[in-house]
Amino acid sequence: MAMRQFLVRRLLQGILVIWGVVTVLFGLRAVSPGDPATLMLGEGANRELVERVREEEGLNEPIYVQYLDYVGGLLQGDLGYSWQSNRDVTAMVIERIPATIELTIAATIVAIVIAIPLGVVSATRRNEPSDYGATLFSLLGISTPNFWLGLMLILVMSVWFGIPYPTMSTAAVPVGAVRIPYPSHIGYDFYGFPTGRRGVGFPDAMRALVYDQSVSELGAWLRYITLPALTLGTYFTALITRLTRSGMIDELGKPYVTATKAKGLPNPLIRYKHVLRNTMIPIITVLGLQMGTLMGGAVITETVFNWPGLGLRLVDALRIRDWPLMQGIIIFIAFAFIVINIVVDALYTKLNPQVSAE
Amino acid sequence: MISDRMTSNLKQTFKESFLPKIGLVLLLAIILMAIFAPLLATHDPTRTGHYADTGSPYPPMGHSYETQIAQDGDIVDIEVHPTSEHILGTNNVGQDVFSRFVYGARVSLLVALLGTALALVIGVPVGLVAGYYGGRIDDTLMRSADIMLAFPGLVLAMALVGVFGSTPIQVPDPIVMAGFAEGMPESIPIPGSVTVVAGLVIWVWFARVARGEALSLRNQEYVKASKSFGMPNRRILTKHILPNSLTPIIVLATIQVAAVILLEASLAYLGFSGTTLSWGYEIERGQDLLRTRPWISMFPGVGIMLTVIAVNLLGDWFRDALDPNIEGDERGV
Amino acid sequence: MSETILEIDDLSTQFFTSEGKVNAVHGFDLELERGEVFGIVGESGSGKSVTALSLMDLVESPGRITSGSVGYRNPSFAENMRTSYPDAVDGDLVDLRAIPEDARRSLRGTAFSMIFQDPESSFNPSLTVGEQIAEAVEVQQRATAMPRSGRAKTRGPEYSLGSYLMSMALPSKRYVTESSRARAIELLETVGIPDPAQRADEYPHEYSGGMLQRAMIAQALASEPDVLIADEPTTALDVTIQAQILDLLNELQAETGMTILLITHNLGVVARMCDRVGVMYAGEIVERGTLEDVFDDTVHPYTKGLLGSVPDLEGTADRLQAISGNVPSLLDHEMGDRCYFADRCPKAMDTCLEKPRSFDVDADGRHSVTCYLAEENYDPDRALEEGRFASEGAVSDVGGDSQ
Repeated sequence: MAMRQFLVRRLLQGILVIWGVVTVLFGLRAVSPGDPATLMLGEGANRELVERVREEEGLNEPIYVQYLDYVGGLLQGDLGYSWQSNRDVTAMVIERIPATIELTIAATIVAIVIAIPLGVVSATRRNEPSDYGATLFSLLGISTPNFWLGLMLILVMSVWFGIPYPTMSTAAVPVGAVRIPYPSHIGYDFYGFPTGRRGVGFPDAMRALVYDQSVSELGAWLRYITLPALTLGTYFTALITRLTRSGMIDELGKPYVTATKAKGLPNPLIRYKHVLRNTMIPIITVLGLQMGTLMGGAVITETVFNWPGLGLRLVDALRIRDWPLMQGIIIFIAFAFIVINIVVDALYTKLNPQVSAE
Repeated sequence: MISDRMTSNLKQTFKESFLPKIGLVLLLAIILMAIFAPLLATHDPTRTGHYADTGSPYPPMGHSYETQIAQDGDIVDIEVHPTSEHILGTNNVGQDVFSRFVYGARVSLLVALLGTALALVIGVPVGLVAGYYGGRIDDTLMRSADIMLAFPGLVLAMALVGVFGSTPIQVPDPIVMAGFAEGMPESIPIPGSVTVVAGLVIWVWFARVARGEALSLRNQEYVKASKSFGMPNRRILTKHILPNSLTPIIVLATIQVAAVILLEASLAYLGFSGTTLSWGYEIERGQDLLRTRPWISMFPGVGIMLTVIAVNLLGDWFRDALDPNIEGDERGV
Repeated sequence: MSETILEIDDLSTQFFTSEGKVNAVHGFDLELERGEVFGIVGESGSGKSVTALSLMDLVESPGRITSGSVGYRNPSFAENMRTSYPDAVDGDLVDLRAIPEDARRSLRGTAFSMIFQDPESSFNPSLTVGEQIAEAVEVQQRATAMPRSGRAKTRGPEYSLGSYLMSMALPSKRYVTESSRARAIELLETVGIPDPAQRADEYPHEYSGGMLQRAMIAQALASEPDVLIADEPTTALDVTIQAQILDLLNELQAETGMTILLITHNLGVVARMCDRVGVMYAGEIVERGTLEDVFDDTVHPYTKGLLGSVPDLEGTADRLQAISGNVPSLLDHEMGDRCYFADRCPKAMDTCLEKPRSFDVDADGRHSVTCYLAEENYDPDRALEEGRFASEGAVSDVGGDSQ
């Protein structure tokens, strides 16, 4: 009962926040320099045409009418049309969601799978070499800019170990030759970039595995996703390692741990069922708040690896100031952030009986 | 308040552990490098060349195809491997990677310090007032904080830069102006809008922490007592609440300096910062040449990493010594 | 004399701090008889709690048990240990300090159990009370179901991380079984918790302090222990509830015949509960004997001081006698080789500069005291002058801080 009330309250708050995000974005768009019609049609377009577009798009209306129009459209799931491509923004957002979800989930899995054992080892073997190693790793991890890390991973993999990464040009430039400028990311063909899909998506890979008993698709998917996931996941791995270590050290010093030992409970049970579980409860909340960082990281990582997700589309939209597209993507990201945080809070409430009792 | 106990705790922790020492030495080295950049740089970091039509299919005598002509007519070698002349090589427009590494520290640190200072100036008063008075002011703050938090920091920053534009501010270089270094640029471009945007993106974290502190401090006996004596709220805020909330704010500020360094680098990498004299931009510049000229991207990244490590080590030191009640790593970006 | 169950000899536990070695417990001797309630009483910082933890082998870094033996009398355990560790076994008595750690730890929750001072912080806040008691039941049941083989050393760990991960996927593989849960509810009923089936599913914060202490006693009883160590079991509770908890302990002790080592700073608790008592000071027992011996026939000036500091309801004493000075420094290099109480002792004499041994007061050897006053009478002419130790700078409140 309490849980339902809590969820309803959080949902209402979330709606309020989304409304705030929409309003802030609309305000930014209103104050941003440049005439939308000109942006749509390009510099030097026919003045009559510009005026017609302004009229059609309602840009001559008072600002509050435009705002109400926009919010009204949103309520019907209409995010407007891209100024650049004139495509439906909702469709442009939806087609890029799977790639971003795959990337962020893979990064989160990488982070959790590496970080929690590392943090536990670090906390339970304090001041031993493994602890120093984990501490050093986590210091480096939270201090490394992830776009640079991505490039260095590509460098190490493709150049030093000779495993070419799809986004990199493998055509060697002979020293001394005139360098012919080539596009910064060669790999469009691998991704089928114009349609906004990866060459191999996870659902495709699983389908191939189940129906054709073919692992090659899954292998290709893994090959595409490993470096981006590592790049995006490193900061989180480092962060969770740090939080787990310090939280677990705090937790191990609590009297109930001594009491649990006195009961004669086996060590793994003390360590995982009691201590680690209690350590994770506050960490979950921190991670919920850090989801913004994860999504910001996804934007950068997608740019580095030319990963056809929302982040890459957002950067493109921002570069050309395609406001409807950019608004649509940011609203979706904010929405995802809020949903994740509601889930996290619900989980926190479930795990922490002291809160749920209130 | 920074009491004697805190100072002695800081000293104690510093003495006992090894990492704060590394952090302090590293940070001092980077700060000195930034201040004395014109003296340390071996070349003008902004001097570039362009492909010249010499009318000959061959490069000038003694040079390869990888040469360009600088504005002053001199020949600039592009993409030179590290040599004694260019200890870290040159980039794709013939700029000395080492000199740009040295100058990059200036931009990075200035943006980080000014951006964090701006966030402090906005966030702390707002948070303290909200926490101290509570009620509707507090509700409004917390709701707007929620809205701010729903934007990923980097995304919000990119959108704001889009609005403000990204004109760099040319700041005259006192060392060059005073004539201590010759052949160095007389002013360096600071990405002003990035600085402001960084402040606008992270202030909400300061507001949250300051609010929490004010909220707990306003129920302390001495605050209640001051109130009953008729001390005006404003005085209570500056005399009691602010000094006693400083510890977590200092620790948070350290964390946020690191975050802003990374934010600036990310924006520059994505081409949103408006200046090209930046570690982040340099990484982007070398990206296409990674396979054959890895040094162009590699060294600026090392610069960012070392600076952030130094700041983080300092932050850990403050956190361990001052033991503020900050949950987790509240990095806003 | 009835049969002893624990024979502790020369037990020392030291803490290795940045200021130096701290002798929290040193040269601790104690013989516990089966079925008795033995009280250890002393000021805070006298090493009582560390003694309890040392007996449970729960001393944490930077502390370590540095010497001594803990003999535990149990014929079947001795039989199990005899083949593998013949040196550690003497008749029915096994020296727990001479067997490996995991063999020693297998006694926790089966032969020894412990009640802690603060019930609220001694339960895991995020698991139900019933679950936590059921865990203790499970430890005991698994130990009974699978008696220790002689080859204790070669046996793998019973419960690994793998088993835990498995149990998360398969509820049937959970550590705590339904029968343990049922037993936990029975135990809650035994300790007088009303509506136990329902309360078992509640979390610690939903219990009152007294209820939670009852639950902790239930948890300790789950082990069916030979020896129950109760470390300040009533200190955190209201006075009225203290009495209920002590009565409960008394009842349960009479029922099960377990031995209780009761650690407290409260002489009232000792008087109410104990058969014998040991007075602890600076990490060692300075006076021990039956309740009557120690309370009525007091020899050690420290014991006298403690008894004098209890408010007397009949008002025979004009005012409360506090013991002047602080608990001495327990830093190894500051302790020296003298009577540690001498600097606070109103009857300190020149002989006290040399450490006294344990003297028997009575012929039957049941009342012993670590003080020269057991042998000779106080002679004011040989008194140590005031401030004899303060001038050395050795007596500081460091001892209190280091705890």
